[in-house]
Amino acid sequence: MSRTPLELVCPAGTPGALRAAVDAGADVVYLGFRDETNARNFPGLNFSRPELRDGLAYAHERGCRIYVAVNTFATAGNPGPWHRAVDDAAELGADALILADIGLLDYARRRHPETRRHLSVQASASNPTAIAYYHETFGVQRVVLPRVLTVTEIARLNAQIPVETEVFAFGGMCVMAEGRCALSAYATGRSPNMNGVCSPASHVRYEQGVGGMVSRLGRFTINEFPDGEPAGYPTLCKGRFVTGGCAGYLFEEPTSLDASAVLSELMAAGVRALKIEGRQRGRAYIAEVVAAFRRAVDAAARGDPVPPLGLGGMTEGLRKTTGAYTKTWR
Amino acid sequence: MTPAAKLTLGPVLYNWPAEVKRDFYFRIADEAAVDVVYLGEVVCSKRSSFFGPYVPEVAERLARAGKDVVHSTLALIMNEREMETVRALAAAPDLRVEANDISGAALLAGRPHVIGPFVNVYNEGTLEVLVRGGADRIVLPCELPVGSLEVLGRAAGGAELELQVFGRLPLALSARCYHARAHDVHKDGCRYVCEEDPDGMALETLDGDGFLAVNGTQTLSHTLCCLLRELEALRDLGIGCFRLWPQSVDMVAVAGIFRGVLDGRDDPAEAEARLGELVDIAPFSNGFYHGREGAVLVAGGTFSPAG
Amino acid sequence: MSLSPVLLAGFVLRPLPPVLLQPALDLAMSLMRRRHSDVFERLDTLENASFLIDPVDLPFCFALRLGPPAPRLSAVGTADDMESPSAALRGPLLVLIRLLEGRMDGDAAFFSRDLAVEGDMEAVLTLRNAVDSGGIDLAEDLLSLFGPLNGPARRALGVAEALFARAERDLETVRAAFVAPVEGRCDTQTARLRDLEDNLADLRTRMPRANVSGTRAAKHGAARL
Repeated sequence: MSRTPLELVCPAGTPGALRAAVDAGADVVYLGFRDETNARNFPGLNFSRPELRDGLAYAHERGCRIYVAVNTFATAGNPGPWHRAVDDAAELGADALILADIGLLDYARRRHPETRRHLSVQASASNPTAIAYYHETFGVQRVVLPRVLTVTEIARLNAQIPVETEVFAFGGMCVMAEGRCALSAYATGRSPNMNGVCSPASHVRYEQGVGGMVSRLGRFTINEFPDGEPAGYPTLCKGRFVTGGCAGYLFEEPTSLDASAVLSELMAAGVRALKIEGRQRGRAYIAEVVAAFRRAVDAAARGDPVPPLGLGGMTEGLRKTTGAYTKTWR
Repeated sequence: MTPAAKLTLGPVLYNWPAEVKRDFYFRIADEAAVDVVYLGEVVCSKRSSFFGPYVPEVAERLARAGKDVVHSTLALIMNEREMETVRALAAAPDLRVEANDISGAALLAGRPHVIGPFVNVYNEGTLEVLVRGGADRIVLPCELPVGSLEVLGRAAGGAELELQVFGRLPLALSARCYHARAHDVHKDGCRYVCEEDPDGMALETLDGDGFLAVNGTQTLSHTLCCLLRELEALRDLGIGCFRLWPQSVDMVAVAGIFRGVLDGRDDPAEAEARLGELVDIAPFSNGFYHGREGAVLVAGGTFSPAG
Repeated sequence: MSLSPVLLAGFVLRPLPPVLLQPALDLAMSLMRRRHSDVFERLDTLENASFLIDPVDLPFCFALRLGPPAPRLSAVGTADDMESPSAALRGPLLVLIRLLEGRMDGDAAFFSRDLAVEGDMEAVLTLRNAVDSGGIDLAEDLLSLFGPLNGPARRALGVAEALFARAERDLETVRAAFVAPVEGRCDTQTARLRDLEDNLADLRTRMPRANVSGTRAAKHGAARL
């Protein structure tokens, strides 16, 4: 029996990536402006207003939608950039805003009631009561679930809430509850919540040591990769540290989420949309990952088994995990 | 001028044995110069059952000693059982509750409550929404710089603002238990190994630098936040409540040192030196207040790396 | 953009003093700046950054300096010949070309250790993101030289022609220099090489036409003068 396919929500950090995602079969492309108003505020990345306008035209002509992430927390005393991001995205015709900040949700509801509001994963809404609050108070119509729930918990949650849910399917993975992590700020002074960056490039150093490549963040050593061993991002939670006299990956190995193995279960759990992480990744990643998940999502909708996606080369540390979707991960 | 500053004691974040915790609070009730005491398990729902039976007794003793008792909710709520603990607190009309997840704030809407530091309040827009919902005290996230504190202080209106001034910085929460992972046991059969580390499990870099502290599903800083020298400025900005997070040190003495500075009796720099002698588990830091990396200690416009 | 001369260099791979590459590198930069202005716009924030680009299988490196008056690319003998670059990127030539063209994901190349980076990571990321945004296609970009000719392209034509004329011969040098050792191990790379060969074959077949139209355009230009 065929069912409505899961909506495939794909990342873009540049206009080139946006076109690659649309061409590869994305239902939706999500993106952010080139500033601190979104959680991938990386150098040389993201969209100007004219680029968003062109991107919207390109996507809409091809039956694809655009969601704009304004998902950092506005700076006290300087809400201007965040308000302008919401205003411009709404006025240019974005199909939805992805928001996390309560003050900004309130602003968007008052100023642009007609524009769909989605709750960003950065809001960390992990239970029915929290989700109901965002729905009732700010008219949120979809929630991107934090990467802390098992498939069983997601199914139970979906039965209790009046809004759609979107879950992460592939890519980089926070092991901490999103929007509730100041590790990067502790080591670098630059914060995911306030600056839209985690373990920012400006504070990363790679050095070739005798034993291999050493990565440092601020003044802290994050990892050392022996020559030939696959590497990962210099994010704190994927670093190698010493506890109880043993060095290891206490938080998480360098690895990427790959939920393709539980796609049918997520569908059965009532999930509406799948999100691919990676606005910071290149066009090649976007094209390959989006095309693979297009096939997977269509197979799952037909009731067929999801074929192997062959995306191993795209993963961090060349490893993948089903993450919190499987209870043993905890 | 500004109303009298309150000194508060945040909930014990670590898994101290229930009797140890009970005795700790009895001593706080009898001796500590704090005005408000927060009780409750914030980090891991699996621990709740141990101290739960002692809560009424402890709360009563604290109240009798003149402390305002606030019941803190879990910060990360992922299942029905955890939600139920929040609902139970919210359903008791005579309890004062600190919501550490927005779900708690939703359940407490319309009656006075505290918003805990695990709810993201970064700006005046959010502050206003929460105050409208009945929050009369908001404990701000630890990473806010002084510029944000200043704006929020002006925007708070009638609500009180609270900020951590002592203790390890609560940096992150997770569904995953790192204590269990470090001991190679499953979270479901964790044997409560986190009990072994009353200030969290030390986590060092490969170079042997102290970096973080692990407390079950929570990650904290290695350094201890200390804002003794910033207290006066904070009061001027409109921050009225100052939180001490319990560590396994003489918290009565710690409270005494902060009280002395708040009351204008003691010199902040001298007080900091005394605190340093009393608390030797890790160096101090104050970087977040100064808009820097949280790990550093900024002193008089310069800074020195801590840790 | 920054790496496009790597391809040009591939065409002239026989040991050459780096200085002889300079006209080709200048040509490549002016071509990229014209065809991919959006890439350079994204590089604006970098101001004075400089990059050492080290194709580990070539006998020399490239120095990319973004500072005013205009971004400039030059060849240097070894990494030590470039004074304190902001950052260094090292990898096999084919990896660098594929990154440049957006055919390979930079993070994936880094995870697999095919790409090594050192120095100012903010500058590296800015460069990577800018290049990836651009939709650079070297064959297309080079072919554009033979399109409706404008001033700079016409002046460059002589250089480019010379390069293409040597292409076939030099391709074998490319293979010998760096593809052969990894051929057995990495089929995708050989496939990519075949792509390159196809592109070149394609170029060769289109060259005469381009030349003809070029001549015609030049004549028209002359007539207007």
